[in-house]
Amino acid sequence: MIDELNALLAQAKDELSRAGDEAQVEAARIKYLGKKGSLSAVLRGMGKLAPEERPRVGEAVNSVKAGIEDLLERARQAVAGRALEADLRREKLDVTLPGRPQKLGHRHPVSQAMDDIIEIFARLGFHVADGPEIEWDVYNFEKLCFPADHPARDMQDTFSLDAATLPAPPEGAPEPPTRILRTHTSPVQIRAMLEARKPPVRVITPGKVYRCDSDVTHTPMFHQVECLHVEEGVSMAHLRGTLDAFVKAFFGPHIQTRLRPSYFPFTEPSAEVDISHPLCGGKGCKICKGSGWMEVLGAGMVNPDELAGVGIDPEKYTGYAFGVGIDRLAMLRHGIDDLRLLFDNDVRFLQQL
Amino acid sequence: MKLSLNWLRELCATDLPEGELATKLTFAGFEVEGTEQRTLGPGADVVAARIAASERIAGSDHLSVCQVEDGRGTHQVVCGAQNFQVGDVVPMARPGAVLPGGQRIGRAKLRGVESSGMLCSARELGLSDDHAGLLILPRDTRIGTPIEQALGLPDTIFELNVTPNRPDALSHLGIAREVHALTGAPLRVPRPKLAESGGSMAKLARVDVEDAKRCPRYMARVIEGVRIGPSPLRLQERLRSCGVRPINNVVDATNLALLELGHPLHAFDLDRLAGSRIVVRRARPGEPMATLDGKQRTLSEDDLVIADGEKPVALAGVMGGQTSEVSDGTTRILIESAVFDPGGTRRTSRRHGLHTEASHRFERGADEKMAALALDRCAELVAQLAGGKVAKGVIDRYPSPRPPSRIWVRPSRVSSVLGTDVSAAEVEQRLQSVGLQSVEGDAKRRLWSVPSWRGDLTREIDAVEEVARLRGYDTIPVVVPKAGVGETAAIAPEQRITRAARAALAARGFDEALNYSFVSERELLALRPDVKPVRVANPLTVDQAAMRTTILAGLLQNVGRALKHGAQDVRLYELGRIYLPRRSEAHPAGDLAWPVDEPRRLGLVAAGHRAPRSWAAPHDPVDFFDLKGAVDDVLGALDVPGTYAPAEEPFLHPAASAALTVGGRRAGVLGQIHPRAAQAFDVPATVLLAELDWELLLSQARALRQSRGVPRFPAVARDLAFVVGADAPAARLLAEIRAVDGNGLLEEVTLFDVYRGAQLPAGKKSVAVGLRLRAPDRTLTDTEADALIASVKDRLKASLGAEIRS
Repeated sequence: MIDELNALLAQAKDELSRAGDEAQVEAARIKYLGKKGSLSAVLRGMGKLAPEERPRVGEAVNSVKAGIEDLLERARQAVAGRALEADLRREKLDVTLPGRPQKLGHRHPVSQAMDDIIEIFARLGFHVADGPEIEWDVYNFEKLCFPADHPARDMQDTFSLDAATLPAPPEGAPEPPTRILRTHTSPVQIRAMLEARKPPVRVITPGKVYRCDSDVTHTPMFHQVECLHVEEGVSMAHLRGTLDAFVKAFFGPHIQTRLRPSYFPFTEPSAEVDISHPLCGGKGCKICKGSGWMEVLGAGMVNPDELAGVGIDPEKYTGYAFGVGIDRLAMLRHGIDDLRLLFDNDVRFLQQL
Repeated sequence: MKLSLNWLRELCATDLPEGELATKLTFAGFEVEGTEQRTLGPGADVVAARIAASERIAGSDHLSVCQVEDGRGTHQVVCGAQNFQVGDVVPMARPGAVLPGGQRIGRAKLRGVESSGMLCSARELGLSDDHAGLLILPRDTRIGTPIEQALGLPDTIFELNVTPNRPDALSHLGIAREVHALTGAPLRVPRPKLAESGGSMAKLARVDVEDAKRCPRYMARVIEGVRIGPSPLRLQERLRSCGVRPINNVVDATNLALLELGHPLHAFDLDRLAGSRIVVRRARPGEPMATLDGKQRTLSEDDLVIADGEKPVALAGVMGGQTSEVSDGTTRILIESAVFDPGGTRRTSRRHGLHTEASHRFERGADEKMAALALDRCAELVAQLAGGKVAKGVIDRYPSPRPPSRIWVRPSRVSSVLGTDVSAAEVEQRLQSVGLQSVEGDAKRRLWSVPSWRGDLTREIDAVEEVARLRGYDTIPVVVPKAGVGETAAIAPEQRITRAARAALAARGFDEALNYSFVSERELLALRPDVKPVRVANPLTVDQAAMRTTILAGLLQNVGRALKHGAQDVRLYELGRIYLPRRSEAHPAGDLAWPVDEPRRLGLVAAGHRAPRSWAAPHDPVDFFDLKGAVDDVLGALDVPGTYAPAEEPFLHPAASAALTVGGRRAGVLGQIHPRAAQAFDVPATVLLAELDWELLLSQARALRQSRGVPRFPAVARDLAFVVGADAPAARLLAEIRAVDGNGLLEEVTLFDVYRGAQLPAGKKSVAVGLRLRAPDRTLTDTEADALIASVKDRLKASLGAEIRS
């Protein structure tokens, strides 16, 4: 009888493994566990057994019943799973269709660079100072030690303004009240020192500047950032340190700087600063004309006459300053080869960056 | 400045190879910007050859057959030139030679006559444009001499960038001094030897200086019996290599002395100076004069002139005049060697648009002492090149010689400025190497006398720079300055706010533009007819002649161009200043006053579609509410509440424009472009614009948004639909609804539908709003919510005549 039960279980297992849908599973249940099912038939034969055999066989019956129920449950799940799978596959997405687009805006490379520069200098303890773009000629030149009628002024071709279209100069404004478009951000040096009254002064002054010049490498408007640090004990070594820190933060730790003597009226000693070319890593390439170096900024120790001119004792305090063309830095960073692209605002260009 | 290395080495015999020399000069402040190799090239087998015989070729109108000796033998060469005589020495390219133009010389038959080689013109040798005939060489040129050698080639020319503070370096001697200081190679300053064998200077000419301020020194010499002619080949080549055109031996002598010593000189034809006089004076207002460049000029009282007894004969320090020009018939010359005031020279030079070798140097400051040496050197060269007798004596009007400047220098100061220890001995050695002489002092402090040519050295700091320059900036250490406690700058609130706004705009698809601050006045007036812009007096083009009074002009140009380039959707913003001819609000007076008001504006433009063309979204055109949504996002980024109301703006469509109010003040306008403005900028009339007052927005903004916590009790949501008059503004409806809520229960009102159409009576619209109600301290009951909704309905009925639909 026990053999009969085991055969029944094997038969149910075999049959249920082949069940294709819910109906077949139900049919199998009725066949094995129903009132007129196979197991009931076996149970009906129990009466003929010796009493001492009954518990053993009873146990076997229960175990086979549980086994079949388990098989049925599994078969039901398998059938339902297959049905769900089939159902899910009925309607399929074309995942190769393009994603739903949303236009994102792009920041101008010059404003990106400017933001980065402000942040780098914030870490070095410099805060942002501001000044007007329509500036007093006196602040743009004379206070920065440009002698009148001197060719140093030719280094910066100046846009002058039609005086008839300007308002009357306010009280206390510098004399003479000639106004121009500033040719560099350096007049903000004067304003920052006048405003601070007393060193230390540690500022950067990003902004637009203007020169009467337009060709492949010059636009009549461009962007500069000036850095000024006046304090007791400041030396040219600090100038080199700040430059180096800035250039490395902006372009990467492998970038080297070097200084060449030069002339700017408002600094003494003055220097042109080259950086090892970020694109070729100083090996020399077409853009840097094989030298491995790019001239990127002008720098120097603040001319003592300039300090004296804003009431700072040049014997006690020293300072350094430098000015960088932001547009050129942005071009270097993004591999832009034509300066004029920066101000054409061609969306095909803006959306690349 | 062009520098011939052959010439330089005559004055300072350095043996440094040219590459190292270039590096040394560059790192001493004289940047070598370019190098030119002057040579005929390696294949140019061209030698000096004598024409021993010449015969016309029968049947040709110009060819002759010449027998030419080149030191190796006699060759037969056919030649087309006419300008030679038998016995002349000329350059001959031997067969196989390759000329600088690439032409290869071979053996040929011309008109049946054998020709081996070619006789050359200056142009064929790449020396000049002269193609009038053969280049005739001096007869004493040794036959067989390679022509390069006869010309003093090969040579290397440096293109040097000399900064405006160093006029002393605008000459071969000046750079020789530097090379001497940098390398220690000996310096050889020319010492002219003059035989004053002519008449007495005092009897030959007279010089009066009426304005000694503008002309602190005037020297002159006279040379009689000169013969005007071409200069020797070598010297011509030398001038050409420095970019100066050879004229004649006398003019060339003045230019050679200039290029050698750096001091400008001028030669007058003495016989054409009325009264044999020189008067240095101011021009009379309106006085006419013809300069050497052939231009007739009208002079101003500020112009200094060299006049003769009657009229101006030169613009002092700038250019000579035609009437006294040295010409082929000249026999007596007066050489001028003077010093003119830098500022005056510069004003004259700019006034007349004349930038010359002379003005370039005078406006940077000439060396008063050098005037004497240059005059003698020039006279010596004239005597050598043009013959003649140098008159006895010199005229020298020099009423107040400038004393040499003196500066105290402390080695401790040198060290502290450079940030590295520089010994007293080194300071002394460096300063001596550039010609300074010690007057007195000790190791702590020493007084130095500055040589006459270094007008730029007047203060201690100038000497510091000199030491730094000569020892090399690479000797200065690299030290990052320490920031003191509390000096590390915080991220400025303004920067934080601006970044948030930029991020909002980027999310809305706006690209950032940066336009020039000047545009055409016509375009500005098309947008802002009420503001007269500040004009640029010397604009590069009329399109850049007026300072912008609105940020939108540039953006509209950008949109127009983008659409023309085929862009479908353009969305741009710009954040920048405008320039208003009025007192600056933020910086009104005092020494920190700004000359005009330069407030910042945020400009937005949009054209095209809301979303890129796609299968997955409708391709609707962008409209007013897209723009308004972008403005809302900017306000959101700044945490600034704003309200909108209909507005009239000259450049906006009167039926589709709004004004933004923030903190009770007008903060900007937005809307569709006015068709007239659209026409002025050649853009579609559907373009949308906004211009916001960034200064006002910044002043109201909060850099850091503040947390309000999260509600703890659930909200009740109710929708409400009603019909009102079609002209009732949405803002009014919302305001009426909000006015009901006395207990702060109405958390949010969302207007989610507006309908106008066939199912409604004319002049009516249906509006649906969603209300979210919440109490901060308890769960709101349905009864409370119902009561509130009922009062909203009542209010809408009472104040707007609304018909409630649900």
